[in-house]
Amino acid sequence: MQASHVKYRLGKSYGFQILTYILAFACVVPLIAILFFIIKAGVTKINWHFLVNIPKPVGETGGGIANALVGSILIIIVASVIAIPIGIMAGVYLSENRKSRLAYWCRLSTDILQGVPSIVIGIVAYFWLVKPLGKFSALSGSAALAMMMLPIVVRSTEETLKLLPDTLKEAALALGMPFHRVIFKVIIPVGISGILSGVMLSIARITGETAPLLFTAFGNPYLSTNLTQPMQSLPLLIFNYATSPYNEWHDLAWGASLILLLWVLFLNIFTKIVTRKWKVQL
Amino acid sequence: MAQIETELQLLKSEAINMWTLVNSQLNKAREAFLTFDKDLAREVVLKEKRVNGSELKIDRDCENIFALFCPVAIDLRFLLAVLKINSNLERIGDIAEGIAKYVIDAEAPFSKELLEVSRVLPMYEEAVGMLEDTQAAFEKEDTILARGVFKRDDLLDAVNKSSNKVLEAHLKAHPEDTSQALWLISIIRRLERVGDQTKNVAEEIIFYLEAKVLKHSKKFA
Amino acid sequence: MESTVIKSRNFNASFGSNHVVKNVNIDIPRNHVIAVMGPSGCGKTTYLRCINRMHELIPGASSSGEMKLNEEDVYQMHPIFVRLKIGMVFQRPNPFPNLSIYDNVIAGYKLNGIKLPKAERDRIVEHSLSRVALWNEVKDSLNKKGSFLSGGQQQRLCIARAVAMEPEVLLFDEPTSALDPISTSTVEELFHELKVNYTLIIVTHNMQQAARVSDKTAFFFMGELVEYDDTKIMFTNPKDNRTQNYITGRFS
Repeated sequence: MQASHVKYRLGKSYGFQILTYILAFACVVPLIAILFFIIKAGVTKINWHFLVNIPKPVGETGGGIANALVGSILIIIVASVIAIPIGIMAGVYLSENRKSRLAYWCRLSTDILQGVPSIVIGIVAYFWLVKPLGKFSALSGSAALAMMMLPIVVRSTEETLKLLPDTLKEAALALGMPFHRVIFKVIIPVGISGILSGVMLSIARITGETAPLLFTAFGNPYLSTNLTQPMQSLPLLIFNYATSPYNEWHDLAWGASLILLLWVLFLNIFTKIVTRKWKVQL
Repeated sequence: MAQIETELQLLKSEAINMWTLVNSQLNKAREAFLTFDKDLAREVVLKEKRVNGSELKIDRDCENIFALFCPVAIDLRFLLAVLKINSNLERIGDIAEGIAKYVIDAEAPFSKELLEVSRVLPMYEEAVGMLEDTQAAFEKEDTILARGVFKRDDLLDAVNKSSNKVLEAHLKAHPEDTSQALWLISIIRRLERVGDQTKNVAEEIIFYLEAKVLKHSKKFA
Repeated sequence: MESTVIKSRNFNASFGSNHVVKNVNIDIPRNHVIAVMGPSGCGKTTYLRCINRMHELIPGASSSGEMKLNEEDVYQMHPIFVRLKIGMVFQRPNPFPNLSIYDNVIAGYKLNGIKLPKAERDRIVEHSLSRVALWNEVKDSLNKKGSFLSGGQQQRLCIARAVAMEPEVLLFDEPTSALDPISTSTVEELFHELKVNYTLIIVTHNMQQAARVSDKTAFFFMGELVEYDDTKIMFTNPKDNRTQNYITGRFS
C-alpha cells in the first residue's frame, strides 16, 4: 500500500515538472511570434534608402525613416542627460539616508511616479511646457521621457548601493577622504555595474514610449535637429503611419517597427554584456 | 622570529650564565679549600648574592613567559625544566658558600693524609665535572651527555658510603684529627648532595628534550 | 623620547541615550603597542573609533570630554586632518575591490586628489608594502586586483594602505579575528616592527593575542576603563579583581 501511494506522488511530481516546462515555453511563444511576424513583415522594407531618407509625400514611392531615427536618438539622449544625473544623485542620497523624512517622501514620490500612466505624463508635460512655451518641441518630449526614466534610475542606484558593504565606505573615510570623494571615487565606481544596468533599463523602457510624445514632441515630417521645434520619433511614426490609409505608409511602419525592435533587443544584450564585464567582485 | 622564540633564547642564555657562575663558585671553593686561601673563600661568600639574584630573575622571567605566551609542547617542557634546574643550581651555590664558610672559619688547613684517605679531592673533581657536563648537555641539547652524568654519580656515592668506615679507621691511628674529620664528613655529605642535585638537573634536561620522566626510576646509560 | 601621543580625559561616548564609554582617562605613550581588551559590549571598539572620529559618523552618536593627539584636541580639529594622522585597520580586510594592489596602497593619495610624481608613488608603494612584509610576495603582480590575495595578505594590504599615509598612530579593530592562525601570527609579527615608527592601539577580544603583542594593556568593562598597566603586570598580577576574573576566564 505504501508503494502505490509513493508511486502516485512521484507521478504527480513528474506531471508538475512537465507542466512547468510547458508554461515556461508558453512564455517564450509570444516573443517568438512577435519577432517572427515583424521580421517577416519588415525585413523586405529595410534598405539603405529606407534609413537615410525622410518620408515622401503621399502617392510617391520610396522614402524612409531618417527623421524618425535621428529624432528618437536625439530625444533619448536629451532625456538621459536630464534624468541620469538627477536619478543617480537621488539614489545616492536615498542609500545614504535611510531614515530621514526627505528620504521617505523621495521614495514615495518615486514609487508613485513609476505607476503614473505614460499618457498622463504626456498631458502634464503638455500643460507645463508646451502651453507656456507656445509650441511643441523635442525638449518637452525629452522632459516627459526623463520623468519616466527617473524612478528606474533612482531605484536601481539605491538598491545597488545598498548592497555594497559598509566596510567599503569606512575604509575610504578612515583614509581621510571627504564625503563627496567617498561617493564619487569609491562607492559609485564599485557599484557602476548595477547603476549602469539601471540606466540602460530605463533607456530601453522609454525607447518605445509613444503616449508622452504625442502632445510634446508631436512629430515632424522633416528631418530636424532643432530641440525647440517639434521632432519625429520612431514610435510616433509607427503610430501615425500604421493607422493611415496609405499602403506605402504601412510599409514604412513595418520597417520602423522592426528597427525599433532590433534597437531594444541590442540594448538589452549590450546591457547584459557590459554589466557582466564591469561587475566588481566584492 | 616569533617573540616567544626570542624570549626563550634570552632565558636559555640567562640559565647558562647562572650555570657558569655556580660552576666558578664551586671551583673557587675547592681552590680555597686546597690552598687554604681565606680571601678566595670570602669572594665566594660575597658572590653568593649574585647567585640568589640570578635565581630570582630567572624565576620571574619564567613566570612572565608562562603568563604572556601560554607555551606548549617543547617550549612548556623547557620552561618547567629551567624552573627546576634554577632552584637546583641555587642550592649547589649554597653548598659552595657553605664550604667557603668553613675555610674562613677553620684555624688550620686539612692534614694531607686525612684528605688522601677520605678521597674527598677526587670526589670534588668528579662533582665539578658532572656539573660541567650538564651545562654542556643543556647548551648543546645533548641527551647522551646528560645520561652520562648518572654513572659518574657512582663515585660520589662510593666515597660517601665508605667515608664513615675510612675515617673511623684513620681516627684510631690519629685521634688529634677528630675535629677536622668531623668537618670533612660534613663536606663529603655536601658534595654528595651536589651530585644528587646535578643528577636532578640531568633528569630535567632529558625531560625537556625527550619528554621522558626519569625521576624516581632506574637510569639507563 | 617617552612622550604621550594620545591623551584622554573624562572621555564619554554614547549612542543616543545608550552611554557606552564612561569617563575614560588614559595616556598612550609613543611607539608602544597598546592592547585594549574586554568582553563584548564593553565599549572598547566605540572608544577606538572615537580616537579617529569615526564614531560620530553613526547617526545618533555623540561624545564628550578631551581626546588629545600631541596636546591638540582631536575634536577641535577638522576630522579629515585627524584621519590623516590616525590611520585605521578594520576587522574584515577591505581593500578597494575595483583597484589594483598598487592603486590600493596609494589610494589615500590618489582618491584624495593628491597628485604625486610617478617616482614618488612607486617609492611609497614599495616602502609601504615592505613595511608589512608583502613586497616580495606581490611585487610582480602589482596590477592585479586586491581581491585575489588571501585573507592574511589582504589584511596586510590594508595595513600598507594605512601606513602609506605616514600617520602617527595606527588603530586596529580586531585585525586578526577574520584570519586563520598562520595569517594571524604573520600580522602579529608585524606589530613589533611597526611600533618602531608608529604607535599602535589594538582592540582585541583574544586575550592571548593581547598578552603576546602588546607593551601595555587596557581592560575595559561595562564602558569603564578598569585597569591599564604594563602587560607583564596585567597578566601575572592584575590589581583589580574584575581584571583577574576576566583573564582567568571566570566570567560566565
